Amino acid sequence: MSESLLELRNVSIRYRTGRGHVSAVEDVSLQVPTGASIGLVGESGSGKSTLALALMRLLPQNAEVTGEMIFAGENLVTKTESQLSKGWRWRKLAMVFQKSLAAMSPVHRIGQQMEDVLTIHEPHLTKPEREQRLHDVLTSVRLPNRVLRAYPFELSGGMMQRSMIALGLLCNPPFLIFDEATTALDVITQTQILKEIERLKAEYNLTTIVISHDVGVINAVTDTVAVLYAGQLMEVAPRETFFSNPQHPYSQALISSVPRLRGEKTRLAGIPGSLPDLTNPPQGCRFAPRCPHATEGCLAVTPPLVEVAPGHLVRCTDIPLREVVA
Amino acid sequence: MGRYISRQLASIIPTILLSIVINFMLLHAAPGDPARVLAGKDNPSEEQIAAIRAELGLDRSLPVQFFSYVRELLQGNMGQSLSFKQPVFDLIMSRMPATLLLTVTSAILALAIGTLLGVAAAQRAGTVKDAALSFGNYALFAMPGFWLGLILMVIFSSKLGWLPTAGMRTVRADYTGWRDVLDVMQHMILPVATLTLVQVPIYFRITRASVIQERQQDYMTTFRATGMPPTHTFRRYALRNALLPTITVFGLGFGFVFTGAALVEIVFAWPGIGRLTLDAVFRRDYPLLLGVYLILAIAVSIAVMLTDIVYALLDPRIRLR
Repeated sequence: MSESLLELRNVSIRYRTGRGHVSAVEDVSLQVPTGASIGLVGESGSGKSTLALALMRLLPQNAEVTGEMIFAGENLVTKTESQLSKGWRWRKLAMVFQKSLAAMSPVHRIGQQMEDVLTIHEPHLTKPEREQRLHDVLTSVRLPNRVLRAYPFELSGGMMQRSMIALGLLCNPPFLIFDEATTALDVITQTQILKEIERLKAEYNLTTIVISHDVGVINAVTDTVAVLYAGQLMEVAPRETFFSNPQHPYSQALISSVPRLRGEKTRLAGIPGSLPDLTNPPQGCRFAPRCPHATEGCLAVTPPLVEVAPGHLVRCTDIPLREVVA
Repeated sequence: MGRYISRQLASIIPTILLSIVINFMLLHAAPGDPARVLAGKDNPSEEQIAAIRAELGLDRSLPVQFFSYVRELLQGNMGQSLSFKQPVFDLIMSRMPATLLLTVTSAILALAIGTLLGVAAAQRAGTVKDAALSFGNYALFAMPGFWLGLILMVIFSSKLGWLPTAGMRTVRADYTGWRDVLDVMQHMILPVATLTLVQVPIYFRITRASVIQERQQDYMTTFRATGMPPTHTFRRYALRNALLPTITVFGLGFGFVFTGAALVEIVFAWPGIGRLTLDAVFRRDYPLLLGVYLILAIAVSIAVMLTDIVYALLDPRIRLR
């Protein structure tokens, strides 16, 4: 593995609420090598977006982050708000948000908002230089210049998503997070955007984290898959391994819950049950109550994340015992 | 934008026509007889009353009266006041400046103060200062304008003697030039303060709620993520979005300001439309009342239209759709 651009060390995130603490992310350790593309997959409420917001340090006041998030040698957790604004946010880490239609001010032109962001980070640029940069990023996401004069409501979902990607690329950051960036789009537009993401990663030398509940999206644009369930990493594996040989029962269930278009018709498997209550997480393995292979032992002890092969980590007690389902 | 404005203008006409019909109907449905009032209190005979009625055309059927009224209106004639024996239009126009002075000044002051307080409270949402501001505004909101006016009058005129009690000018002083302007301003303070205070809570509440809501919008997270300084994001983006509802309220509120002003004018003996309306009601002066209602309907319609135009200028979603 090449050197890590980002390394998460034992990151836990708790929300203080009126009903007690909600443990949204627990003890997540993850390496993101330079140039890598990590797919973070899990169902709604698994802690994916919390983790992404934590990386940008955008969590609400009632969130507590422990552990370390080392980015290019520096710990993001201990940075102050003013340090983050000067030189970190958007210069080094940028993000493409979900719900792109609401992600910009509805009463200001897109170009105006993008130019405003650029001026804050690169105040020395002249007006023509700024216009050139806006033109460049728009060209990168294949949008015409007229988008700059448009208001968000005048664009289609796909165009708005492209604009948000352009905004993310504006200051040429080495690291970009896509948080459910294609979720609100129809399948055709989604495919187009995913292709653009693949291309842009090479064009801009990006290291990325792609967050999605959709394993299809993860399959299209990542090289490593990390599965999050109830705030815990359940499995981390290279993409090919993950899709051909998933080890964790939850990973297997996620993959088989996607309908296949080609090949034999199989029963579409859902995952019965729902996420545990995170104000009071269950003892033992958090997936055990929904796991088809669970034993009494699973409910008693939280299994550790074990490396079963190089770069392949699994949090399950009976990996060697169970027959692997392809 | 041109099309938007002409559409707005066109929509005013039916509104005003409808208000003419309703005003006329309401007035004639109300109890009272102008002929009897005009005839005086000295036990006039039925013949005398009938003669007055015939002279004023009140003996004709309602539809006939209505159409003759509308015909006169179309020729630019609002009729003659029964009690003042003057053209209605001239009467109203002689009183209008005094009323506009109160309403416009207080509406602008209330907009400015209410909005500023609302923003201040929203930025401190959940703190003691926010609670104190909200409490104060609810208390003000619960006070009727005429009552508040009386209280202010008791404190600042009667007890402290700082300000004149009533009227628009010092009687028999006959000031001219700057001295006159100062005199009017001094007389304005209490009625304007009263009208402003009753309007402030409206702007306060809408602004506070709107700013709090706007701060939770997704675009605020986006801008925070981009490293934009929070004060910059707030001033340039959140505020602009949050103030849109305030503008709508300003236009709609203008109608209520006239109503509120009428009562406050009466309390402070301010020689405006409010006083005039009250006199017209007591004297059953139908032409004058109809005139006042018509002018108010036109004024409010224009205020609402101007608001809609300003709103469209500030919100592209209205302008471009």
